[in-house]
Amino acid sequence: MSTSIIRVFKNFYRNGIKKSLRQIAQMNDTKSGHIVGVDDYGNKFYETSNPEEIHMRTRWVEYKDFWRPDMSQIEPGWHFWLAYGTDTPPNQLKPSEKAIRHIVPAQEKQHPVTYSCTRGAYVPYNTAKPTLSSWSPKVKERV
Amino acid sequence: MFATVVKTSLNSAKVIAHHPSSSAISVTSLRLFSTSQNVQVNLVPHKLPTDQPVLSERPLSGTLDYVLTSWDKVKQWSRKSSFWPATFGLACCAVEMMHVSAPRYDQDRLGIIFRASPRQSDIVIVAGTVTNKMAPALRQVYDQMAYPRWVISMGSCANGGGYYHYSYSVVRGVDRLIPVDVYVPGCPPSSEALMYGTFHASKKDDG
Repeated sequence: MSTSIIRVFKNFYRNGIKKSLRQIAQMNDTKSGHIVGVDDYGNKFYETSNPEEIHMRTRWVEYKDFWRPDMSQIEPGWHFWLAYGTDTPPNQLKPSEKAIRHIVPAQEKQHPVTYSCTRGAYVPYNTAKPTLSSWSPKVKERV
Repeated sequence: MFATVVKTSLNSAKVIAHHPSSSAISVTSLRLFSTSQNVQVNLVPHKLPTDQPVLSERPLSGTLDYVLTSWDKVKQWSRKSSFWPATFGLACCAVEMMHVSAPRYDQDRLGIIFRASPRQSDIVIVAGTVTNKMAPALRQVYDQMAYPRWVISMGSCANGGGYYHYSYSVVRGVDRLIPVDVYVPGCPPSSEALMYGTFHASKKDDG
């Protein structure tokens, strides 16, 4: 949300035209700050200490995927940081403090994303044994 | 016939068991077993003859197709930027739904404005336990909505009865009453989860 046109011009000056236009296309706003880190998917996370910024809108993500950005592309730890759950970003955690992933195998480079609304979406199937068994009728020839 | 089918499915499960990747065994063999029980029904996702390709996958031929597709995209874009839900808050999920319109999540900046009338809304968010007594009212709200319309089922109670699944007075899932597009899991789901579900609904609009 831009509060003034001067702020927009300032951010255009700080970020450059290309980055500012990308920000407008993605989040309808221009923002300037310092980069905090990059997650496993390649999304970039920023923070600003500018007091003019609105409360709780000082951290943001710039998605790597421009055309189909999705919230599940953000790594869980970064998502926690983004929602102001912690002030320590995941890339500054000590090795002992890092969360161990239980679902994702260790050899996977990226965390799993949501496949809903795509061809890879989960389709449920029945695993219960049917209570009825069907039979195919055979009519004997009449003698 | 039944015995032979089971036998073949067991054999195929055994073949898979020899496969080096051991993570897929249980699911695959389960699926093989379950599908072998009713041979006529193909439960593996496949294209039906009645399936229409979505707009983005349809091959274009001729000028008219290009014009109509571009017009459709403009139409969808305009719909996506004003996604007006009819609220159907029934239980504690409704509180989370209210949070989405409150300043922290601020749905107005996304073009989502709660409408009191179903005649003015595009989607209906069913938040909470749908009881048998409420079912005809919900159906009437849905019937009053103009096309195109979507449904978001929010929370485990609306998804499938949830905690009250075995109650005598509760509908076991809102999809028994109206067709659901997006199921948001949780008890109750967080406001962010509902927003994520709303984004998925608008993704469906993309075609």
